[in-house]
Amino acid sequence: MSAITVQNFSYAYQHPHKVLDHITLHVESGSFTALLGPSGAGKTSLCLAVAGAIPHYFGGSLSGTVTVGGTVTTDSSMPELACTVGSVLQDYEIQLVTMTVEEEIAFSLENQGMSEADIARCTRETLAAVGLTGYEKAEVASLSGGQKQRLAIGSVLAANPSVLVLDEPSSALDPEGTATLYQLLGALNKQRGLTILVVEHNITQLLPYADQFILLDQGKVVQAGSPETVLTTMWTKSITPEALPPLWQLKLSLEAQTGCKLAAWRNEQEAIDELMAVLAKEARHYA
Amino acid sequence: MMQKFAPLTKLLLTLFITLWSIMLQSMTALGLLIAGQLLLLVASQVRATVYKGIASLLLFAALLAGIQLALSGDTTLAITTALKMTAMTLVFFILLATTRMQDLSIALVSQCRVPHEYAFMLTAALRFIPDFLNESKAIQEAQACRGYRSQGNPLKRLTAYAAILKPLVLKAVSRSETMALSLELRGFANRRMSSFRSRVVLTARDYAAVMVMTGLSVFILNFC
Amino acid sequence: MLECCSVDFSYKAQTQAIQQVSLTIHAGEFLAIAGRNGSGKTTLTRLLMALRKPTSGDILLHGTSTKPYSPADMAHHIGYVFQNPDRQIFRDTVFSEVSYGPEQLGYSPEQIQAYTQEALAVTGLSALAGAYPSTLSRGQKQRLAIASALAMQPALLILDEPTSGQDAQECQKLLALLNKLHAQGKTILLITHDMEILAHHAQRVIVMDHGRKGFDGSPAELFQHEDLAAWGLSAPSAFTISRSVAAFGIRQTCLMEPLIRELSQKLRRKP
Repeated sequence: MSAITVQNFSYAYQHPHKVLDHITLHVESGSFTALLGPSGAGKTSLCLAVAGAIPHYFGGSLSGTVTVGGTVTTDSSMPELACTVGSVLQDYEIQLVTMTVEEEIAFSLENQGMSEADIARCTRETLAAVGLTGYEKAEVASLSGGQKQRLAIGSVLAANPSVLVLDEPSSALDPEGTATLYQLLGALNKQRGLTILVVEHNITQLLPYADQFILLDQGKVVQAGSPETVLTTMWTKSITPEALPPLWQLKLSLEAQTGCKLAAWRNEQEAIDELMAVLAKEARHYA
Repeated sequence: MMQKFAPLTKLLLTLFITLWSIMLQSMTALGLLIAGQLLLLVASQVRATVYKGIASLLLFAALLAGIQLALSGDTTLAITTALKMTAMTLVFFILLATTRMQDLSIALVSQCRVPHEYAFMLTAALRFIPDFLNESKAIQEAQACRGYRSQGNPLKRLTAYAAILKPLVLKAVSRSETMALSLELRGFANRRMSSFRSRVVLTARDYAAVMVMTGLSVFILNFC
Repeated sequence: MLECCSVDFSYKAQTQAIQQVSLTIHAGEFLAIAGRNGSGKTTLTRLLMALRKPTSGDILLHGTSTKPYSPADMAHHIGYVFQNPDRQIFRDTVFSEVSYGPEQLGYSPEQIQAYTQEALAVTGLSALAGAYPSTLSRGQKQRLAIASALAMQPALLILDEPTSGQDAQECQKLLALLNKLHAQGKTILLITHDMEILAHHAQRVIVMDHGRKGFDGSPAELFQHEDLAAWGLSAPSAFTISRSVAAFGIRQTCLMEPLIRELSQKLRRKP
C-alpha cells in the first residue's frame, strides 16, 4: 500500500517561481525514505506538501495532487492531516510550546480532543517510546538538544500518525546524538511500522536504516529508488558526488577500477567483512 | 494551594486585587493586602525563582517610592504608591506561578470568550521570554565580536543598538511564523476542545472563592 | 600567538564548564576542536574571544594577559564566525554589512573600503556586494559572516561548526575557502564534529571532554587513541577499514584516496 503518492505535483510560493516541478513519486507504507539533494532542491517544500502546510498554510499556486493515507491533501485540512502525518520541523525547539515535558505531549493529545484519563496513559506510552520516561516533570528549557528533539518527535507521535516527516533532524546534534536519533527512528519504523520520510545531508547516517532514497534537484526528482540505485546514479552521472558517503566512494571507485562487484554496504562492518573475503580470495589465488 | 483553584478564579483574583489596590488608600490595608498575597504564595509552595522575581519587584517599588519622594516630598504618597504597585504586581506572580500556561489560555478562551489565537499568543509569549533573552544575548555576543560597543552619549548608543535590535526582531518574526506553522501542523486549529474544558471547569471551591472576593470588594468600597 | 594557562571557568550556579585547560595556538596553524555537545568546545572559544573571562588562570595574546580586553578589542586579532549568521546580519547590503566591523574598529574610510573589497573577493561574494543580505542562500550567508570577520584583518579565524546543516557542495566550497585562507597565512580554528574534515584538513586536534582537554595532537594520533569512543568520536571509514585489512599489506591511512588506490591495485584482475 502506498502511504504517500505525489502525482505530477508542481508548486510555487509565488508564481511563476516553481520550487517543486512535476514531482511524481510513491512512498510505500512502512518504508524509511530519505529525501536527498542540495540546498534549495525543494526537499523542505516537499515535506510541507506532504503535511498539507502546502497549500493550506502557505497558499501559493499548485497543480497535481499529493495523497497521504488515501486522502488528497487539498480535500482535507491541516488538523485532519495532523492525525495522519506528524511533522518535526528543522527548528524543532520552536515546536515545543509548553513549560514541562508531559504538558508538551498532553498538548498534542488535547488538540485531538482526547479524554483526561487517556491523556495520562498515552503521555506515559509516548514518553517511553522516545526514551524520555522519568522526565515528565522536567522543564522543556532544561533538556539537551537531543532530548528536545526526542520530545518534538514524541509530541507528534502522540497524535498516532502513520507517517513521520523530519526535516534535517540531525543538523544540531553531535555524532552520538545523531546515531541515537536514527536508532530511534529505525526502531519506530521497524516496530511500529511507521512510515518515515526524512531530509538529511549526511547519507552515511541513513545507510543502515533507509530503504528508499529520493534525489531532488531544482524542484525535480532526479531519481528515486533503492539506496544502491540512487547512490550509483549520483556516482555515474556525477550529481553531487561529494555528498556520497565515504564508504560508497570506496565501493563505487573499486568497482569502477577493478571490475569487481561489491554488496550494497550499509555500514563499515559489512564493508570490512566483504573486503577481507575478497582480499583473502585474491591472496589464495596468487599463493 | 492556589494550584487547586480553576484558572478563571485566579484570573478573577487578579482582577479583584488590582481593583482593591486602586481603591485602598490606607497603608495598613495595603500592607495587609501584600502580606496576604505573600502568605498565598508561601501556602502554594512556589519555586524559589518566583521569590527572586519578587525581590527585584520590591527593589523597583522602593526605587519608585524614592523618585516619588524626591519629586513631591510627600512621604505618605510615596509609600502608598509603592505599596499599591507592589500589591498589584504581586498578584500576577501568584497567577503565573500557580497556573499552567495552557490552562490559563483555555480559561481565557472557553470562559472569558477571548479568541483562541489571542489567548494562546499570550501564553506562548510568556513561554518564549527566556528564549528571547537568550537570543538577544547571543546577538550581542556576535556583534561584540565585530567591534560593537555600547558607549558614548545616549543617542549614539541608541543608533548603535540597531546592530542588536534588527537581527533580534527579524529572528523573532521568523520564529513566530515557524511557531504558527508548527502549531497548525500539530492540529492546534482543531476546535474539538472537550478535553480542554473538563480541566478548567469551575467547582464549588471556585464559586466560594469568587463570592469571598466580591464580598471583600463590597467591604472595601463601603468601609475604607 | 594565543595561550591558555590553567584556565578554569564556570557559569554561575553550574558545575565547572572548563577545568584546568592549558593550550597554545601557534600562528599559521589549522587547528580543530572536537568533542560532544556540551563538552566545553564553544565555551573555550568564547574565553579566547574574551566573551567570557576565566574564573582562574589566564589567556595570553602574544604573551600579554587578555583580562582587561573586551571582545571588541580581541576583534583586531580574532575573527569569530558564529554558527548562525542570521544573528549578526543587520545592514541593507552585503558590502555595508562587511564594512561594519572595520568601521567599529576605527579604520580609515580608505582602509574600510579596501578591507571590505578584499574580504568580499576572497569569499567569492564580490558580485553580490549590492545584494540585500536576507536574499542570500544559507551557504552565502555563511560566507558573508566569514567576510565580515576577515574585513577586520584578524590573524586568527575561529569558526563554530560552520558545516553543520550545509549541503555537501557548500561544505566543499567552505573548506576550500578555509584552505585558501590558511595558505595565505591565517591561523584557522575550526569547531567540528566531522571526522572526515579533521582527517583531511586539520593539522592538530584538541578534544574537549567534560570541560577538560582530553587530547591534543595530530588527527592520525587521535584516531588511534583508545579513548576515542569515550570522547563520543569515531575514526573516519578509511582509517577503520585500512586498519582492518592491514594484514593484507594495505597501509594505514585516514584518507579515502590512498586506500582506494591500494585496494584497487590489489584487486585489479590480472590477465
